[in-house]
Amino acid sequence: MEEDRRKDDEDNKLALQFMDSLHNYLSLTHSLSSTLRQGWLELASAKHSMGTSRVNTSVLDLKSHSASTTLKITENDDGTQPQFTLQKWVSSEHESTKLEDKNEHPQDSDTKSSDNDEVRKERDKSLSVFGVLISPKLRATQLSFEKALETLIDIANMRSSVLNSFTQLHKEVEDTKE
Amino acid sequence: MYGFEALSFNIHGGYLEAIVRGHRSGLLTTADYNNLCQCETLDDIKMHLSATEYGPYLQNEPSPLHTTTIVEKCTLKLVDDYKHMLCQATEPLSTFLEYITYGHMIDNVVLIVTGTLHERDVQELLEKCHPLGMFDSIATLAVAQNMRELYRLVLVDTPLAPYFSECITSEDLDDMNIEIMRNTLYKAYLEDFYRFCQKLGGATAEIMSDLLAFEADRRAVNITINSYPYGHEELAVCEDIDQVRAVMEKYPPYQSIFAKLSYGESQMLDKAFYEEEVKRHCLAFEQQFHYAVFFAYMRLREQEIRNLMWISECVAQNQKSRVHDSVVFIF
Repeated sequence: MEEDRRKDDEDNKLALQFMDSLHNYLSLTHSLSSTLRQGWLELASAKHSMGTSRVNTSVLDLKSHSASTTLKITENDDGTQPQFTLQKWVSSEHESTKLEDKNEHPQDSDTKSSDNDEVRKERDKSLSVFGVLISPKLRATQLSFEKALETLIDIANMRSSVLNSFTQLHKEVEDTKE
Repeated sequence: MYGFEALSFNIHGGYLEAIVRGHRSGLLTTADYNNLCQCETLDDIKMHLSATEYGPYLQNEPSPLHTTTIVEKCTLKLVDDYKHMLCQATEPLSTFLEYITYGHMIDNVVLIVTGTLHERDVQELLEKCHPLGMFDSIATLAVAQNMRELYRLVLVDTPLAPYFSECITSEDLDDMNIEIMRNTLYKAYLEDFYRFCQKLGGATAEIMSDLLAFEADRRAVNITINSYPYGHEELAVCEDIDQVRAVMEKYPPYQSIFAKLSYGESQMLDKAFYEEEVKRHCLAFEQQFHYAVFFAYMRLREQEIRNLMWISECVAQNQKSRVHDSVVFIF
């Protein structure tokens, strides 16, 4: 009976975990939708401010260059759940340097402030295809789409968690039937 | 002699002044904007515009429409109006009308050079150029490696040649040099246009000097906002929008513009400047027998096209609540 109660508790915990993950997943998709809406409107606002000749696809750089942001995929200890990590604003001069790495350990304030300067430089470099003197609206657009990218990674991780929870819950239910 | 234009202006300029005033009355009204702001789709916008002077330019466009298509076709209307006036004009009005397009020419030169630097196809870049700023050898810009070649190979035979004296270096074209070139050229163009208007004298000189001075000031403030802490004289020490406000509020014409903004708010500055610009251009029509009405009409039509672009974007993105953020009503 003690064992049955423990098993029930575990099942309840798994079910709660699954529901929580699903709730967070839906919240994140809603948040992504509103961030993207904001980003697109800010882009239209930047086009309105700077003119369509300065903000259009024909000024984007086609020269080969390394990605400023990369995605790292790892697995958890038992290999059942992939983990997605965004490595943002990899310095173009020192490609092995990760300037902004979510889920990494927090840094001290001096390192953080010099990293923030480097991140700002990389952001400016990325926007320089539209010219050197750009509207604050275009910078706001960049931040919105950057936030959207972070939310996408959170959604991927949350989806992975949902699927993992569902698999475990399903397995428990099957075991119970047996 | 100022005050006696009524005696002789109509001999050469009367017909075209009547034409441009007719075009002015064809600008969209408040009722038109109310209808457009209530549209649900871009096809609705096309339907409403079919009853305006833009109708013939949009009627053959197939669905689904795109916002860039609406802007392109409306720009064609402006280009046709301009070309009609230019081909009917005699000197010095024809030179005055040509001056109006030099700003677009500068933007096109910068677009081609920037796109070439980014290894874009020249044809693709030419399609994005403003039609009012086109000239014969524009495609040859793609072969220039530095400013000196740009001038020697292409721009020496264009109206922009005199503005290049401060820009000629052998430095390679990069993003920073291109930005410096854009603003140096525009500064030289505004100064040259101003001198030309002063030579014309009379009401043209008086009204155009005010309009061009405002344009120059607006560009200086925008450059500061977009690049602070680097800027222009007193603006050079400003480090944020509030310091810019403190500098600009010393000058009465700009007090009203910055009074509309709350502290720290730079997003609405564009709209405030556009509103002031529209007000000044509308006032140009209150006087007769001068050329500033042509300049004012072109700028008002460009503002109208910007309004249509913004309304189309808000409708296409289902964000109609934001329409009034950037629309500037004319008249």
